[in-house]
Amino acid sequence: MRATSHESLLAWLDTLIERSTLVAPQRVEREWLYRPVSSAAAIAFDFQRTTVSPKGYFFPETEVLLDIERRGREVVMGEPDLAGDQLLFAIRPCDARALLVLDALLVDRPPADSYYARRRERTTLVGLACPQMWDGCFCTSLGSGPADASAVDLMLYHDGDGYLVETVTDKGAALVAGVDWPEVDRPAPEPEITAEVVSVRPPDEWLAAFDEVVWQRLADRCLSCHACTYVCPTCRCFDVRDDLTAAGPGYVHVQRLRAWDSCMSPAYRRIAGGHNPRPDTAQRLRNRFFCKFCYSPRDFCAVACVGCGRCIAACPAGVDIVEVLRGV
Amino acid sequence: MANPDRENPMRPILGTLAGVKELADDIKLFQVELNGERFDYAPGQFAFLSAFGVGEAPFGLASIPSRTTALEFAVNRVGTVTDALHKLEPGAIVGVRGPMGNSFPLDDLCGKDILVLGGGIGGAPLRPVIHTILDHRAAYGHLSILWAARSPSLLVFTDEYGAWRAAPDTELHVTVDRGDEAWQGNVGLITDLLARLAPAPDNTVAIICGPPIMIKFVVLGLQKLGFQDEQMIMTLEAKMKCGIGKCGRCNMGEQFVCLHGPVFSYAAVSRFLESFV
Amino acid sequence: MTQEIETGIRIRVKKLLDLGEVSCVIGHEHGPRGHTRPAFVYDSADAERLVWDRTCHHNLVAYVRDKIATLARGAEPGSTPRVAVVARPCDVRSLNVLIHEGQVTRESVFVVGVACPGMLDAGDPEAQDGQALHCRYCTERVPVFYDALVGDPPKVKVPDEPWPGVAEVEAMPPAERLAFWTQEFDRCIRCYACRQACPACYCFECLAEQVDPPWVSIAHRVPQKAFFHIMRAYHLAGRCSGCQACEAACPVHLPLSLLNRKIAAEVEALFGYVAGANPDTPPPLATFRKDEELPL
Repeated sequence: MRATSHESLLAWLDTLIERSTLVAPQRVEREWLYRPVSSAAAIAFDFQRTTVSPKGYFFPETEVLLDIERRGREVVMGEPDLAGDQLLFAIRPCDARALLVLDALLVDRPPADSYYARRRERTTLVGLACPQMWDGCFCTSLGSGPADASAVDLMLYHDGDGYLVETVTDKGAALVAGVDWPEVDRPAPEPEITAEVVSVRPPDEWLAAFDEVVWQRLADRCLSCHACTYVCPTCRCFDVRDDLTAAGPGYVHVQRLRAWDSCMSPAYRRIAGGHNPRPDTAQRLRNRFFCKFCYSPRDFCAVACVGCGRCIAACPAGVDIVEVLRGV
Repeated sequence: MANPDRENPMRPILGTLAGVKELADDIKLFQVELNGERFDYAPGQFAFLSAFGVGEAPFGLASIPSRTTALEFAVNRVGTVTDALHKLEPGAIVGVRGPMGNSFPLDDLCGKDILVLGGGIGGAPLRPVIHTILDHRAAYGHLSILWAARSPSLLVFTDEYGAWRAAPDTELHVTVDRGDEAWQGNVGLITDLLARLAPAPDNTVAIICGPPIMIKFVVLGLQKLGFQDEQMIMTLEAKMKCGIGKCGRCNMGEQFVCLHGPVFSYAAVSRFLESFV
Repeated sequence: MTQEIETGIRIRVKKLLDLGEVSCVIGHEHGPRGHTRPAFVYDSADAERLVWDRTCHHNLVAYVRDKIATLARGAEPGSTPRVAVVARPCDVRSLNVLIHEGQVTRESVFVVGVACPGMLDAGDPEAQDGQALHCRYCTERVPVFYDALVGDPPKVKVPDEPWPGVAEVEAMPPAERLAFWTQEFDRCIRCYACRQACPACYCFECLAEQVDPPWVSIAHRVPQKAFFHIMRAYHLAGRCSGCQACEAACPVHLPLSLLNRKIAAEVEALFGYVAGANPDTPPPLATFRKDEELPL
């Protein structure tokens, strides 16, 4: 491990801004959110967990898939250029592990989502280990922990007023090559593990819980908004629609957009013609939990939840994922 | 499965609307010639058609490559995209993304008797099954087609009845839920027709497509006749946005209709925790 | 005082369920982390779960219409299920709006009215006297109607301004006002928590999500988010009770009620009307009279 002071870290980050977009936690009114910063001084280091996950820097809230121009019988299609590298600074272990879940779905299973894949390739992840767990956190129940460095390129640990720096991948090593931070002997401090481990049932055992009344009872208070899915680092459902940007005689210019959508929306599965296999809140709520803890692991990867606890904080109606896990 | 060489699976290839035929009330058959690129597809697969400026939607492929170079789609006018498509004239440029999904296991059905049950526009993905069987007639056993719609004006591919009936060892029965003044044929639900014909399940596979409620009751009717779960194959519809298992929308449990389907045996469907109806 | 309200609710609810007068009671309970959240009680033995304190900021009337519909699905044909709802004065005015609009019948709801001392600021319980902003200017203590009342009506404090925050925004020159709202809407994630928490937003298909015609793009950009919030505020003109469940629901703490307050101020000035204040007064924006003289 190497050690650095806070000042030295900021100076180093300021040099990186020249060649990459630096995305870091910022205080925005009453929230902490990941935003591009123009100087390291704007970074908020005292955050716990951002309100919305940083997945938007890989899977944006709004993404232009295609630029389409039709003139008479001629159609020209273009894809937006994704210029530049991205440095995501102070990503928490849970959010970094969430990217592994998104990788499994969006890249590893062919055909790869080229938009997500490109952003992923162009981004370096510098993690900031959590010194403790906060209200709502349950990463330790999902095989991870507040100091889990498995999904980042470089990991920082709080060390007094400074930081210890751990190189995890070659990408991370390249980032700090030549930086004047001394090697030190001491190990990274152990984070305070305060949350009780919740026993998460294996995917196959969820099948038996499908018809249980617990879903009806939970759905009573669920408002079918999109808050949980949007703040979640692993949710990735999207909508696609053409947006007319200009039109004239024989001419049409359109952007084919994709944007975040939510399986909790009542119209999520409603087809033109009216048929909807999930008209009830209980069905949609159940589907969401099953998707995370049963379908995703059975279909393509590990459990699609990293225990970040944002959904608990964001839910306006008090639906609590840990309560669900305990009750199933 | 979409062509894995494609760099961007969300980007359509361009095609020209070579022909438009009135198929039934509010249902048109679109014939799309791809500009340059070709893809190979099998009965059961689907593709997304783009009405540039409005959006895209998935449609079952109603043709087979060996009979035509054009991709044929039956499109029912029910929403914004289908409405925009219906306004297109031959010569218009459309986008195509595909082929997607799995296909009917027609190789496994060689030597078997086939029972095809199509309701309304559900007949469109079944047409390539019928064509394949007719074009390789000796490879398959007896072919029984039960073709239905809510009313005579909603029956599809009526101009092919003659060819189907004329094929060896093939029978066609048509029924409508309610007739009109000109209608001379059967009146009644497809389930009643099925019960009346009472095909034996031995060495037979049923292939079903239509509105979810129709599939549900046809399955019940077939089960009554002794058909086992593996003997009933259906193609399901779901709201889709990507067609490649990314947008998360079309899941039936851990199966995505676009990836693991749209063709499913009833054995698989009966294990779905959720109902497709 | 809140203890008295809580006890009153439990006693009343127990009686209602024991007598079978309602099939479901919508109230509040403590969630597993101690925060209050909506609670649904079907059995009188469960009445002890119900709590009431000054963090009960949910407008439970938002659940009434759909709860009745769900219960009706499982009930005998011809019977109308009845629910009870724990409601503050603002919540009851929301219920009035739903009744005026034919969404709910008076007979199908038993109102457990709360003589409300005002909510605490959801984000800052220690602020000033702790009173939430909108409760500081509220002059209502007793709901405009109820079937049972719990709590002793606290004194009304005459507010220094009826529509807090509105004057500040109105004083901003246009460029500053645009910058203010752009900055706020930029944070919005278009989750619709505000809309879903609102009893007056019950459209089967919201204009913001309609595909045919596509009134607004699916994009999560400031113009679309601004459109949604401003249109929603307009659609709530004369219907919003000022309960601020929308603002409490927002995961990024947008000052949404400013929009609603502005419009409510206009409606009161133009029509002398406060949403749901009088069970017999039809809402002016939904009522047409030939003899109407608009002060325009």
